[in-house]
Amino acid sequence: MAGERRAVEESKKVRIGVIGLGKLGILHTGLVNMIPRAELAGLADINKQLAKYVQQSGLKAPFFSDLGQMLGEVPLDAAIVCTPASANLGIAEKCVQAGLDVFIEKPLAHTFEAAKRIAALVSQKEVVHATGYLFAHMGLFKKAKSLLEANVIGAVHRFRSSMYTSEVFGRKKGWVYDRSQSGGGVVINVASHLLYLLHWYFGPVRSVFAQAKNIYLDVEDAASVIFECGRDVVGSLDTSWSVPGYRLPYIDVRVEGDNGTLELNNDYIKLYLYKSQKGFAKEWTTIYKIDLPVTSKFELGAEGLYEEDQDFVDCCLDRTSPAVTWQDGLEVQRLIEAIYRSAEGRAVVGLEEVE
Amino acid sequence: MTMGLEKLILGSNAFEGVSYISRTQALHYMEHFAKEDNIVAILEAANSLGVRAFMCSNCPNIMAALQKFPKAGQLSLLPVIPNAYEYAMEASEKGVLGAVLTKAKGFSMYQKVRLGLRALTKIKSVISKDVLDLLLELIHFELAGFEKYPLGGVVLHGQVTDLALSSGNPDILTIFQDLVRDSYEVEPILATHNFGVLLPQLIEWKIKIPVLGPLNQKGFMMRPSKDECEKLIEESGYTIIAKKVLAGGRLTPEEAFPYFQGKKVESFVCGIGSVPEAYHTFSVAKSALKI
Repeated sequence: MAGERRAVEESKKVRIGVIGLGKLGILHTGLVNMIPRAELAGLADINKQLAKYVQQSGLKAPFFSDLGQMLGEVPLDAAIVCTPASANLGIAEKCVQAGLDVFIEKPLAHTFEAAKRIAALVSQKEVVHATGYLFAHMGLFKKAKSLLEANVIGAVHRFRSSMYTSEVFGRKKGWVYDRSQSGGGVVINVASHLLYLLHWYFGPVRSVFAQAKNIYLDVEDAASVIFECGRDVVGSLDTSWSVPGYRLPYIDVRVEGDNGTLELNNDYIKLYLYKSQKGFAKEWTTIYKIDLPVTSKFELGAEGLYEEDQDFVDCCLDRTSPAVTWQDGLEVQRLIEAIYRSAEGRAVVGLEEVE
Repeated sequence: MTMGLEKLILGSNAFEGVSYISRTQALHYMEHFAKEDNIVAILEAANSLGVRAFMCSNCPNIMAALQKFPKAGQLSLLPVIPNAYEYAMEASEKGVLGAVLTKAKGFSMYQKVRLGLRALTKIKSVISKDVLDLLLELIHFELAGFEKYPLGGVVLHGQVTDLALSSGNPDILTIFQDLVRDSYEVEPILATHNFGVLLPQLIEWKIKIPVLGPLNQKGFMMRPSKDECEKLIEESGYTIIAKKVLAGGRLTPEEAFPYFQGKKVESFVCGIGSVPEAYHTFSVAKSALKI
């Protein structure tokens, strides 16, 4: 039943199944419902008890506790996968085999090996594939990318970055904190968003040197990383989910170039230019997120989530490549793997060594 | 005791450490308003200008400030429920239902017996119950902390409203509306980050209820567009309450309030970060809006 491409062309609506109804899965069901050219056609979660929630939530789509049954019974064009990372490979295999286009919430997988196998699934198939690195869809981060691409601050020499949140101050339960299910701690679960951004802005990375610290959990609670990128760019990242005073994850990226500096965080971009460049005045210019035009027709959960799903749906219809593909997801996973290997071996790890 | 909606409403974003301008400002708010006396000072300033309505969540520092504020009995409180931030933090560890379960552990014995929640350590014991019944109990539970203060209305958090909207679920909104009107005898209010999407849907669902949405001269957070939101303000006939009036701090009160002259907006929520800001903002608002 699934993967009947012809049906997409006729109806011009992408019939989507959401797999995994945790926090993000529930948000994606709502978002899919609000995208005019998408139809929420099926819901799957191994927890059978969620059937009652689905029934009373107002969602019209049928619920399945067996993914195979959903794929067999419901005509679908695409799937959005929001399960614990360790489940992604098995689910991706089934979905691709069923001929579906697939969006996988970040990270692509819990290990580099699993991520490689996921990316390989689409090497021979015409499948639209996306990874849920949200920053690619947020207006301020897109603006910073355009400024860097336009060489406003000139050739980049180096960057410093950080991502902190106040989440772990003692033992925690849940799959996110279990290495066998999530793949690690703050690096893979939180800082992977920033790693995507750094890969997008400054990639490819050539080598990393990392140190990680377990404070409360069996997975790392904090990490510091030095990067060597192409074009002689060096950079750093510091991350922790055990720092007080951060209600929400907060990023800070400071870039130094020939013409000046660019500072980026959740709230604004601040440029300092030695002389006027490309329409920007000498010295300080601040671009607040608030001042950027509203680009999404709807918001649920977080800025960028609607745009992310909209991009996936558009690409399914147009047979084009989403902003963040599985290949991008794999490159971030390679970076994560290099960081973990470096931290464990206390040595510089070249990205070419991670195969 | 019940009171109607007032024109100017003090908001609590700053008290909860929220800033749209910078991390520096957010950190300042967090540290400054961790001391409840600093919240009391702003309640005093607002009160001296005749602003007696206060929209807030049940954060510990805010509840402590209400305890200390001598004129709390004269306030018109508008609690925002549930405390979505608290649930979101819990949900990352325990899942969405686990977060609800944690909250349910605080239910009174009477509530537990009503719901049959005897084995509260097991998620399945909760989710096998009627989800909407559980919602009712959660509303009562969240409002329990406010019971000694006069209520001017009860606000459903935007995350819940928008989730109900996107799920196509009018039942949650109807239940909330009926419960607040019947049990608390005040106006239910729906907060949203999708004003221009919610309002047409409410009209279609025939749910007539005040709506609290981001409305400002800059168009900040006005979805799907500033034009569509403005058209709805004029034509919908709904009671409309504006938040993000100062566009997250990017507009001065002098720039912000004239935009609303002649617009069919009932009330205005303004978050305030300092005593001078309270005097400045509310004075300009009263003058511009002819209150």
